[in-house]
Amino acid sequence: MKTAFVTILLALAAMAANAEEEFKFDASEFDKKPFEFNGYLEQKLETLKLRGDSPAYRLTYPGESAQDWLLRSTSTLELSGKAYYKSLTADVRAQASYQGDDLVNTTNYGQVMEGGLRWSAGTDLSFDIGKRVQRWGKGYAWSPVGFVERPKDPADPTASREGFVMASGEWTRSFSGPLSTLGFTGMVVPTNDNLNTDFGREADLNPAAKLYLLAFDTDFDLMWRGQGAKPEAFGLDFSRNLTPALEVHGEWARTLDAPRNTVSASGLTRSTQVNFNSWLLGLRYLTRSEITWIAEYYRNGAGYSADQLDDYYTFLDRAMAPEASPTLSSKARTVAQSGYGKANPGQDYLYLKASVSEPFDWVYGAASLTTMTNLQDGSWQIQPEVSYTGFANWELRGRVVFFGGQPDAEFTTKASSARLEVYARYFF
Amino acid sequence: MKKILFASLALVALLASALSQSAIDGVAILQKVDRNLEPESYEMYRKLINIEPDGTKKEFVLFSVKKGKSNVAALFLSPTSDKGRSTLRQGDNMWLYIPSVGKPMRITSQQSITGGVFSNADILRIDYTEEYNVTSTEDQGDTYLLKLKARTGEVAYDQLKMVVDKKTVLPLEIEAYASSGMLIKTLRFKDIKDFGGGIKRPATVETDSPLYKGYKSVMLYSGLKKREVQDEVFTQGFMPRLEELRK
Repeated sequence: MKTAFVTILLALAAMAANAEEEFKFDASEFDKKPFEFNGYLEQKLETLKLRGDSPAYRLTYPGESAQDWLLRSTSTLELSGKAYYKSLTADVRAQASYQGDDLVNTTNYGQVMEGGLRWSAGTDLSFDIGKRVQRWGKGYAWSPVGFVERPKDPADPTASREGFVMASGEWTRSFSGPLSTLGFTGMVVPTNDNLNTDFGREADLNPAAKLYLLAFDTDFDLMWRGQGAKPEAFGLDFSRNLTPALEVHGEWARTLDAPRNTVSASGLTRSTQVNFNSWLLGLRYLTRSEITWIAEYYRNGAGYSADQLDDYYTFLDRAMAPEASPTLSSKARTVAQSGYGKANPGQDYLYLKASVSEPFDWVYGAASLTTMTNLQDGSWQIQPEVSYTGFANWELRGRVVFFGGQPDAEFTTKASSARLEVYARYFF
Repeated sequence: MKKILFASLALVALLASALSQSAIDGVAILQKVDRNLEPESYEMYRKLINIEPDGTKKEFVLFSVKKGKSNVAALFLSPTSDKGRSTLRQGDNMWLYIPSVGKPMRITSQQSITGGVFSNADILRIDYTEEYNVTSTEDQGDTYLLKLKARTGEVAYDQLKMVVDKKTVLPLEIEAYASSGMLIKTLRFKDIKDFGGGIKRPATVETDSPLYKGYKSVMLYSGLKKREVQDEVFTQGFMPRLEELRK
């Protein structure tokens, strides 16, 4: 009996010792190193339900016979590195990828997404030179004030994007009182035939600036982009928590003398210079049941009305018909690239997303349902999605996208009517 | 009649004095708890461990800096999938910066950027005296029981019951309640450690919640020391640059 008691005591002591062992933490394990190296490997599989007889299909896959389904596989490797020396930081993030399906294979051997050198003159002043990603605006799905960045994909707004080569400086000052932070960012984004060609090909410095204020617990930004490879534009945004659970945000941008191309149903194209306003109003609300709602209304000043889009679809029907002349098909491609082929070419959109973290006690899991509607033609896309981050350094995500609405509307004239997508990403 | 009036006034004055003494003591104890837990301005490292009912663990390591009463910033150092994320708190305002998203987004104190039992308010905690009023103080022998009420609706937990060790003036246990009176979580402070520089505090905080039955979260402290940084560290523009503060 005595021996058993001693054995139990020893076992308990050993368990206690193990428990202590479990919870040890020494910060020196995480001392800053002069170099850092990280990355991820991602495998994505997509199944697309195609509209093989649609003009958009023939526009996307010229010369290919009609197909109902397409299975696509994409492998992506991203590597990033950072080096620190005194007040200097050098960094690079690059991707290589292979995408293959029955119709198209694409290999990208190495694309620098961002990279450059930062000099931190102080905590309140820094200078950057290199390829940098600027993310302006408070909108979730759209950013009309994103003057110096590549367009956001509203179907995947948090996806990482490639930057532009630029030189920038950022100054920040804190205050006590209602105005607690004031910040200024100034930059030039030089363009020519070899540099930042996606921004523009005209030889220009393309200056831009942003003034940030945190005042009365509200974030405010005032932005400006000078005339250059892109038209001059200015705008503002704000974001504020009205209650701990309710945030409101908005953006407004005015673009001056911007080229605008339209096409008639018969194929006549017209180019004009216009001034336009784009704006966005949104909210984020966390309910008591921990569901986060994001709602955004977007007015796309550069967009096309339902009638103009109707004309375009009529033209596309004719221009991409199997018997159409190559000249007409080529013209359709040019017209698509001139604005109609953008992610959201319409004028009025409503975005709604309901997401919940850890639904049904599924720890590290998340589920969401997103809808986007073109308010003028009534077409829509709906996107249920689940993700899981419970395995260390793994991210798993699956989603389905369905497009619907009246015939000859934005979301019903795409090359596909539905898409299933799953990916696994491993970080190292 | 005069005697009765005088006696009544004296009684009222005595009661008021007693009540006032109790409130002052409670506030003083809470202030002492705040300073014993952390200096007003500091840097520190924390490991957060979420433990699932089957024993599976997920760990996060954060580097944090705080200045003054209500400015805190934290940078994720691990796991690799979260490395480079940073969070910022200026009073009631909170933001999350994710490198791939590239811009700070407003977040709320009730949500959790790590998942599990710890909320954003636990990760970016500021002084209790900043967020709570002491509503009562009870002498329980070796401990005090402080009952705290949130100063505003912005605070993550409406009420706290804090058991404070008289000898060390450090919390032993905190129960956090919603405004409905529902218990949200219990924090247990353990393993008092000398961090140097006169800082002696619990190095382990264990948390469980009736909302996450069978789950437990542990926060381990290391490298806690006084440090003064510039105010501009606690701005959105500095969120991608927090790593520069690490030596």
